[in-house]
Amino acid sequence: MRTVSIFTVAALAAGILCGCGSSARRIDPSTQGVTTVRDVNTRDWNDVAARAVNSLVASGALVRQDGRKAIVMINEVKNRSGSRARTQILTNKLRQAMLASGKAVTTTAVGGRGPEDNATRQIRELENDDLFNQATVQKRGTVISPDLSLSGEIINQATRSGRTRENTFYFHVVLTDLKTGLAIWEDNFEITKQETVNIFGY
Amino acid sequence: MKKNLLSTAAAALALILGASGCQDTVNTVENRDLAMNPDSVDTRAFSTDSFCRDRLALISMRRSKTPGGVMMVQAQIRSERYGFWSELWSGMTGTNPYYVLYRFDWMDENGMAVSTAANAWQPLIFAPGEVKFIQGVAPNSRCKDFILSVREDPSAR
Repeated sequence: MRTVSIFTVAALAAGILCGCGSSARRIDPSTQGVTTVRDVNTRDWNDVAARAVNSLVASGALVRQDGRKAIVMINEVKNRSGSRARTQILTNKLRQAMLASGKAVTTTAVGGRGPEDNATRQIRELENDDLFNQATVQKRGTVISPDLSLSGEIINQATRSGRTRENTFYFHVVLTDLKTGLAIWEDNFEITKQETVNIFGY
Repeated sequence: MKKNLLSTAAAALALILGASGCQDTVNTVENRDLAMNPDSVDTRAFSTDSFCRDRLALISMRRSKTPGGVMMVQAQIRSERYGFWSELWSGMTGTNPYYVLYRFDWMDENGMAVSTAANAWQPLIFAPGEVKFIQGVAPNSRCKDFILSVREDPSAR
């Protein structure tokens, strides 16, 4: 009789535990997204990108004296933090904001890790291909070289005191004038996150 | 019996004073004769959260232009959660500091919202009595109108 009761309670407990999941649904990452101390989360990217965009547009660094739109090359934002941060999330948001500013356009013909779009070079290799009407093949010497380069770095500083863990991510973003090599805009953004783990360490 | 009642009342009073004494409020001082000549923005608010409305006060809303001719606005906001009862309540409910999110939306001359990465909800943390300046920069020079949205951060509760 007692064995039956124990089995019944165990089955009920297992049923309740299994029933604690939730089905997949879309969420608002800014209010419902997961926040972890070790990683840069979606809401962190959104926050840093918003701050960086505001700072960049407010600086006026994209404005050229000759009135022409600045051509910006997206270089690398190096991730030197211990997290698996995908820095392209930040650069993609920044390039979209630069385009929306109306003061700059980005080039995909060159990039920090080679061209972002190989097509610019590939289509010029069709100049000896008799399959194509040569009048429609893009000519060499027409691609515009960038004026500016966007690069950056992410580092972090992790601290632990007792059961409290803290991690600060430092984002450094720079816009370099490629003619002079001088940084015409740069800014730093910090995000600090803290958690106190339970006595079992999670 | 009377002695017990007095002891309980004294303990309760000590607890309340202790709880309210644990607050880290911000005290400010500024120059009285202000040299600045700001361009203030007339605002109209639509408030749906009476808690948020009572806890934050919009001190000023100013606008200016960036070197690139883009409009920039700045809201000066102060946390009103100071004073004995506010501090006691926020201390007991664990809502000190006060976590809010804010977002700027910008409209072009046709009233169409322009979306950029700067449209994201951004966190802001207020200590009681703290004054913060939040700035929004228009995505381009065609945007002149804006909406500033503020809400409590549900993930901080």
